[in-house]
Amino acid sequence: MTSLALLILLGVVGDRAVPEGAEKSQLIEVHARRFAYEPNIIRVQQGQSVQLRLISEDVRHGLYLDGYALRTQASPGQEGTLKFVADRTGRFPFRCSVTCGEFHPYMIGYLVVEPNWTFYGGLSLVGLLGLGSLVTVFRGGGPPQDKLFGLIPLGWRFELTRFRPIRALFKSRWFPLVPVLVNLFIFTIIIMAALVGGFGAGNYNFGIMIVWILWWVLLMMFMVPVIGRLWCMVCPFPLFGDWLQRGKLVDVGRQKSWGLNKRLPNWMRNLWPLVLLFWVATWFSGFFTVRPMATFILLGVVIVAAVVVSLIYGKRAFCLSFCPVSGFQGLYANFSACEVRVKDPEICKKHTPKTCVVGNDQGYGCPWMELPFDLNRNTYCGLCLECFKTCPHDNMAFNVRPFGADLLAERKRTDDLYHRRSTDEAFKGLTMIGIMFAFFLAMQGPSGQIKDMVRGKTLGGYLAFIGEAGVTDFLVIPGLFLLAAAVSRLVSGAGGVRLKDVFVNFSYCLVPVGLAIWAAFSLGIIFPNGSYLLHILSDPFAWGWDLFGTAHIPWTPVLTGAVPYLQAAVVLLGMAFALDYGFKFARITYPTLQQARRGWVPICLFLVALHMFFIWLFVA
Amino acid sequence: MSRRELAGIAAVFLCTVGTVAGILAVESHRRTRQFTAELSARQPDYGNWYPGTLVVPYGQPVRLMLRNIDTVSHGFALPDFKVAVREIKAGEVEVVQFTPDKRGTFPFMCTVWCSPRHLEMRGKLVVE
Repeated sequence: MTSLALLILLGVVGDRAVPEGAEKSQLIEVHARRFAYEPNIIRVQQGQSVQLRLISEDVRHGLYLDGYALRTQASPGQEGTLKFVADRTGRFPFRCSVTCGEFHPYMIGYLVVEPNWTFYGGLSLVGLLGLGSLVTVFRGGGPPQDKLFGLIPLGWRFELTRFRPIRALFKSRWFPLVPVLVNLFIFTIIIMAALVGGFGAGNYNFGIMIVWILWWVLLMMFMVPVIGRLWCMVCPFPLFGDWLQRGKLVDVGRQKSWGLNKRLPNWMRNLWPLVLLFWVATWFSGFFTVRPMATFILLGVVIVAAVVVSLIYGKRAFCLSFCPVSGFQGLYANFSACEVRVKDPEICKKHTPKTCVVGNDQGYGCPWMELPFDLNRNTYCGLCLECFKTCPHDNMAFNVRPFGADLLAERKRTDDLYHRRSTDEAFKGLTMIGIMFAFFLAMQGPSGQIKDMVRGKTLGGYLAFIGEAGVTDFLVIPGLFLLAAAVSRLVSGAGGVRLKDVFVNFSYCLVPVGLAIWAAFSLGIIFPNGSYLLHILSDPFAWGWDLFGTAHIPWTPVLTGAVPYLQAAVVLLGMAFALDYGFKFARITYPTLQQARRGWVPICLFLVALHMFFIWLFVA
Repeated sequence: MSRRELAGIAAVFLCTVGTVAGILAVESHRRTRQFTAELSARQPDYGNWYPGTLVVPYGQPVRLMLRNIDTVSHGFALPDFKVAVREIKAGEVEVVQFTPDKRGTFPFMCTVWCSPRHLEMRGKLVVE
């Protein structure tokens, strides 16, 4: 009895006096209640042997410790215990392993085994990258303007449509209709499963899992960064609107919609509507991602809105100005390694009428209201491939290119006409950072209080969450960035440069940064929770089906010990791109090399500070 | 209308209405063939066992489909006929079989601590 009391006492005071290898272990009591652990952050020294008691205060909970791959369970009145030696250093999330309520997948705490070398290493690498950028900028002229990392020429292209079968496929009216129909089938099942699932557990629902685990992760880790608006190519939601507007599903029907066919006002023809709509959609992230019924309502609203908008406005007005996920796909598509472009501009100059704009009997005039013959950025190119069909000269090409090539594209008349490439894209990039931060705190962070706010436990807390998200996304982060831009303009000595241009030009640094942190966030979803996919594929409606024999595979976190390293690596990769392109933006913004060098310093320091913050977020 | 157009329209209907109708038909056939009764589990705050009173005929074997449509694990016990399921995970389905060889009203209950009102999570089986 006295030894037990001694143990507890030693545990409380942090037990550093006991030499390593002693049998005395640190006793830690962890209380679990929906949807948090108390304490939610546990710090121990490397080599310490730990005895962990799990005590449940409401329903049956579990505890799975990432990296150590240990698990235990506890019900009220029945404790669970774990004994282990903390020999691996770093931050290891421990997560609930028994479905305990709707926010169960987000019930997380952190075990930090000091010294946290991953954190210190990550910080050092961030510092080294920033220093490296400053050194190259001030020793030489900085990285060459026309090469990525001074190695890959940004003008490099490889045309995929030079291969006959690919061009034939792109010219067929069945493509991309067939993948759209496949997705229509998948989404029919998703919507049905979301309705049947009702208010049940999201982690065992086909709709929730396919949309928020598989689709979201694929979108953020593969589709957008590599191919751009690939999802827009195969998205089933505009199908009915297109059909109604054109009167034909496969064949070429009316070029002009028989709906009201109104023209979108100029002020809506940029990313601002999508910046606001996506932000509003994230208010409900605590419901969509856990409640099947919320996903059903969301998808239902998107489907109905797509049809209604297509009857009021012409062409793909819905995709351009109303679809919540269109904005970041458009902005980030500029980073992607693929593009649709004209092969030989001279052919287009002589070609009238411009069939890629007005359409012909082979296909429709650009549904995304672009001028394909003059396309130079990916933001508003939905990869629908109509221009391949309408071009009689086969002058359209689908190219592979270096990452980020569009970030340096020249401005066009339409950019100014529609206020594009201005604060709209800057704020899209900036708000995506704040939204990722909020998502991370709610879904992978240890704070139960924040989770209660996001899931709307009390109305006041929920409104505070929306208010705080608004302040962070639209005031704090853009404010700090504006400050960095103002200091940059000041120290550059280039008085003639407008602050707005400095702010907007450097904001494109945040494109690779945003992609990287969203990819890092997605890694933290797919590795722990990917195994749910095997279950829901076999039993999509929770009716006890077992289509592929995988219905009884339990929740199995995969390689969670590697996740922090991968997250840190992805964040560093994004930073490398941001630094390389960042100085290119400096050269574009400021007239002389001297001014660009001086103006780059504050932005570079801002990026270093931002990435130190991300490293802290992901591994400390 | 071209054959291509007709094929496309047929595909759209197959992918939407056809899919839903097909799935519902298969499921209703499967349920009537495999099960004689169905019971859904939820915490008392969100609806409790549904139906709360299950009526089965005397002497005929019962195949009971237990669906957990909740966000937490539940269990099932029907002590008078010595059938139980230790844990039905959220979103999963378990099956129990027994032959009611006694007439009367018998309690069944949840056996996993599912909520503060876990002890109220019970229902009645009526054998007629």
